[in-house]
Amino acid sequence: MTTKPNKKAFSELIEQHQAIIHKVTMVYANGRADREDLFQEICLQLWKSYPNFREEAQFSTWMFRVAINTAISNIRKEKRMLPFEPLRDTDRIPEDGMEDKEKVKLLYRSIAKLNRIDKAIILLWLEEKNYKEIASIMGTSEKNVSVKLVRIKRKLEELVMETVSEEL
Amino acid sequence: MIDKDKYLKDMWNKAENLLGSSEYESSTIESFISKRSNSTAERIRKMIYVDIFMKSVFLLVLIIDIFLYLGTINVIAVCITSILLLISLILFEFKMLNRFSEIVDYGKSTKEKLAAMLTYLRSDFFSTLIAISIGYPFMFIGGTLIYFYSTYGYVRPLDGQDIIVFSLFIIAGLVFNFYMNRKQVDYQIKHLETCLSDLNDSSLQMVSDNLDRQRKQDMTNKVLLFMVLIFGFVLLLVVFKNIGFLVH
Repeated sequence: MTTKPNKKAFSELIEQHQAIIHKVTMVYANGRADREDLFQEICLQLWKSYPNFREEAQFSTWMFRVAINTAISNIRKEKRMLPFEPLRDTDRIPEDGMEDKEKVKLLYRSIAKLNRIDKAIILLWLEEKNYKEIASIMGTSEKNVSVKLVRIKRKLEELVMETVSEEL
Repeated sequence: MIDKDKYLKDMWNKAENLLGSSEYESSTIESFISKRSNSTAERIRKMIYVDIFMKSVFLLVLIIDIFLYLGTINVIAVCITSILLLISLILFEFKMLNRFSEIVDYGKSTKEKLAAMLTYLRSDFFSTLIAISIGYPFMFIGGTLIYFYSTYGYVRPLDGQDIIVFSLFIIAGLVFNFYMNRKQVDYQIKHLETCLSDLNDSSLQMVSDNLDRQRKQDMTNKVLLFMVLIFGFVLLLVVFKNIGFLVH
């Protein structure tokens, strides 16, 4: 059990690791406003859950756990979801990376078509988490992670192809 | 031959480089963690707190009634019984709030988190909704006694038609309140079931086991709550019908 730090120190810690939250919001939320809402909610849940954080776990792994759980549980805006439009805010993407940008958009659009659990598993795998870590975060067995990953990657491949043909 | 895994991970890593990493300053993050949460658990917690506050107001009104009708044993007996029942409902709601510790911890594994939330929504939340809904008869008892005192100075007996109209009004409020709250969580229950089913790892069985373990306690809670509801209505009828204690 960790003692609760002051808000300033905790915010600085989150600032250093905020890329994790951004990745989760990119996969689970549509558009800038929804991403910001989810980012705020994840920060809040990290703050509230921090007293239960045990030092034996890696901070980044714990952050992924809280962020993914928050994103999966966060369903209040799902009813008015618009078709997925990731990376619309092109001001964040330099013009000289256009070709890469298209590839990234394609990947995110394809991931967006997966269900919430599959999104979490593929996100963790893309983040180089091993089967044991993914199983621990998701609360399932390593065998199940392995089986699901094979299926998700196959599905993702199909979705990439589908998305390409939709856009042509 | 393209290594598909490597290709996917390369694309993902390019996304990271393209997006950059630093977006929010620590001061902005500090303002985020000072805000109120919009999560389902927080909304339910807020709903219970608001209801505890409302029931405390009803309690206060009933205490005022005791002073207004001082010396009238029957009215005081009705007020004291209502106060005791309301206190038991408030204590029950506090007990339900304590169960929240299980579902508010987002640091658990996804399966545990979703299963705890689903178990709560399918068991304790139902009992909580009943406890919230059955506060209405007590509001009517306290309010009606104050109204009678300020208008007539005594408990005016009502005729059969009045009783039917009042009772129907209360039942409609009670059922509407219960149904609306229930409907709000039905969608969430469905979402949680879908997520657990997608995990494909006997997760739903875990929820069923939890529910089986809680079934006996749930049944006791529900029986007690329905007894409070029926008792509340009997008290209400006593006030409305003014059985044997006209107070001039």
